[in-house]
Amino acid sequence: MYICSYLHSNSFFNQTEQTMRKLITLLVVFTTLYNGVFAGGYQVGLHGQKQIGMGLVGTSLSLDASSMFYNPGGLSFMKPSFSFSAGVSPIRSFTIYRKNEPSTYTAMTENPLGTPFYFYGAAKISDRFSAGLAVNTPYGNSLSWGKTWDGRYLIQDLSLRAIFFQPTVSFKVNDMIGIGVGFVYATGKFDLTKALPVAGADGDGNVNLNGSTAEMGFNAGVMIKPVENLSIGVDFRSKIMMDVEGADATFSVPASLAGNFPADNKFSTSLPLPANLDLGVSYNVTEDLMLALSLNYVFWSVYDSLIFDFETNTPALPDSRNPRLYENKLIVRVGGEYTLNEKLAFRAGGYYDPTPVNEDYFSPETPSLNNLGLTLGLSYNPIEKLSIDLSFLYIMGMEADKQYTPDNFGGTFKSRVYIPGIGLTYNF
Amino acid sequence: MKSRYIAYFLLLLVAVSCEPKIDEFTPSAGSADFSRYVSLGNSLTAGYADGALYTSGQSFSYANIIAGQLALAGGGNFVQPVVTNEDGLLPGKLKLGISTNCLGVSGLGPVSAGGSPTGLPGAVAPVGYSVHNFGVPGAKSYHLVAPGYGNPAGLLTNPMTANPYFVRFASSPTTTVVADAMAAGPTFFSLWIGNNDVLGYSTTGGAGDVITGQDLFSGALTGIVNAMTSTGAKGFIANIPDVTSVPFFTTIPYNGLVLTQQAQVDALNQAYGSGLLGINFVLGQNPFVISDPTSPNGIGMRQLEQGELVLLTLPQDSIRCAGWGSQKAIPGYYILDASEINAVKIATQAFNQTLSNLADSKGLAYVDANSFMAKAKTGLVYDGIKFSVTYVTGGIFSLDGIHLSPRGNAVIANYFIDAINEKYGSGVPHVNVGDYPGIVFP
Repeated sequence: MYICSYLHSNSFFNQTEQTMRKLITLLVVFTTLYNGVFAGGYQVGLHGQKQIGMGLVGTSLSLDASSMFYNPGGLSFMKPSFSFSAGVSPIRSFTIYRKNEPSTYTAMTENPLGTPFYFYGAAKISDRFSAGLAVNTPYGNSLSWGKTWDGRYLIQDLSLRAIFFQPTVSFKVNDMIGIGVGFVYATGKFDLTKALPVAGADGDGNVNLNGSTAEMGFNAGVMIKPVENLSIGVDFRSKIMMDVEGADATFSVPASLAGNFPADNKFSTSLPLPANLDLGVSYNVTEDLMLALSLNYVFWSVYDSLIFDFETNTPALPDSRNPRLYENKLIVRVGGEYTLNEKLAFRAGGYYDPTPVNEDYFSPETPSLNNLGLTLGLSYNPIEKLSIDLSFLYIMGMEADKQYTPDNFGGTFKSRVYIPGIGLTYNF
Repeated sequence: MKSRYIAYFLLLLVAVSCEPKIDEFTPSAGSADFSRYVSLGNSLTAGYADGALYTSGQSFSYANIIAGQLALAGGGNFVQPVVTNEDGLLPGKLKLGISTNCLGVSGLGPVSAGGSPTGLPGAVAPVGYSVHNFGVPGAKSYHLVAPGYGNPAGLLTNPMTANPYFVRFASSPTTTVVADAMAAGPTFFSLWIGNNDVLGYSTTGGAGDVITGQDLFSGALTGIVNAMTSTGAKGFIANIPDVTSVPFFTTIPYNGLVLTQQAQVDALNQAYGSGLLGINFVLGQNPFVISDPTSPNGIGMRQLEQGELVLLTLPQDSIRCAGWGSQKAIPGYYILDASEINAVKIATQAFNQTLSNLADSKGLAYVDANSFMAKAKTGLVYDGIKFSVTYVTGGIFSLDGIHLSPRGNAVIANYFIDAINEKYGSGVPHVNVGDYPGIVFP
């Protein structure tokens, strides 16, 4: 594509990246005070097109039914009697890899399109009570490095998706304070394929691990509007440990090794969906302009290791224990909205999301780098009740040298993610 | 008006949806000139594997792998004396297969690969072109400077004075390996020789060969290195790994005699004088009984001591069904005993000192293959592939237990490349170990 080569030839992004690095250094100094930053890993923050447009801030906003996810306390401040909102954000992502020097080897993911979506429906039961249901996808990962790449014994393909169903109630204590809580029913499934370094006449063996589960958690928040034009929100979403039992481990190995890798083995594993503590502030600078800041602390350290406990072990197939040693991180988000007129509103924002992944245990299965996200958004209201919301999120995963030491695999990684989003909100 | 904003928005999506780019690694030659690389050595350099020299094994020789990488940093063409038979030039190739032992038990292990090896006289037919890989299976240090080592007439003398593998590509009956290597006009060379100077002795249990004398070894090596550097060529010298750490010597344990019945134990103890001869048996694992004319009990037999080695060529059915190692002593040529091991270790150390001194004096890179092999003993991992020195499953060694598998060659090639880069400040890229085949299971 012409534009692509133009951008590359001008090293536009490199310059941007350098400038951003400087800004981020300042930002990091600031955020260290809050002991870390937010998301990365396999957390996905795409839960409302309006919020996405503003750097994914949302904790202090009570725009519509999407508050159920960002801050259930904000739902009681919802103005319409009924609010429905739905949207989808197809993710086009690329991670490029260059092997540790000296090597001329490079590889790039051919990730399938990820499709996080959300649906919210909420109603004002009384002036002070609101209730609704949120359905969304806060965690997921969709990755394909291909069958033959050099890291194939670590990972070939991974698909990870959790869908949350969250019935929510919200209560407005008074005109200044709203509280809310949602019960989360989370369903999750994953599917992982990697090659095994045991070769037969037709090449490498491989293993496919897939399973699903359902677990529970909660989402609770408080919204405070201490003075006119100022909103403060605090939200906590609980950790959910996705425990998978009796999942399928399908081995494909040369016939003479079949005894070492039982064909229809089962396994159990556990994947944590980390807790989040969010603090947000927003301020209406003028009638038309609103600015917001959000701090999201993600308790990633719960992801200590990825363990596959096989039902049948053999000398060649012990349980697989893979250190992860994720670290808690704080994500800083800023965004704003400018309302041009009754029909049009524009948004922009950005965030810095440092990688929670331990430098020595960086597996290409979740190549999460220090991410800088830049966002734009637009809403168009053809009629008063309906809003068509568009967003665009561009994520730069900053180039860095990473290793997965247990497998002596590493190199330089860099990523780019493009996430256009579209949503509809209907309020009446 | 509104639709224009939306159109702008969509255009933006298209505009920035580009794949990321990353700066590529640029190979460089540093202070070396890789334009003509020649390799000198023995079977390891030739690409011998699984007990034979065959087409694909040869293509995965570490020398060929390195040449391919040097080509990215200014290197030229690298010609091997190509073997066009996948079943081997001479018989002996092994593959993994199922075989049934004397007790009727079937299991996975090395079996003859069969097929149609070229055999004599086709195997020694001249290839008809000059080559860059001067790896000659079976060659010892002094063979590289021995005139007539490629003379077909020398194959018929007793003992043989020529080597069939060199006969294939020697430029004349009187030439030497080094002379032909020099004629190729090397700007860069590798030398990995000396393994057979101790290995021939080791693989025959100290019975079928002698360890090369230190003076002969030093003299030969000095001659080789002086000649190879006489026109200013640079290169590397690799030292000799401890041959006793390879699977050929470490697979069968010294106490591999397993007794499961007390009656057996009692009968054997009684037969050996109820402990008076220093030979004792218990239920479970027992040291093998071997033949040793100097045994202190005066009967020419003793039990193996821990640390002594049993050769992979020991016929295991003789252990299982013919009473070898228990009722009958295992012949000494299947055993590398403590004094023989010591002799090998002392010679290896001395040879390696010679190699190191020569590399230093000529300013060549010195590759400590011996310490690499020591590291391999505790396990290696590259890109998620785990390696050890265990027979078959370890992945480094081919089925003959001495020579390397293609993946083993890739691993050692990367190790050699590291030494080249360190010495000459070059940036020769590694190969991906996973690109090379491992042991193939049926």
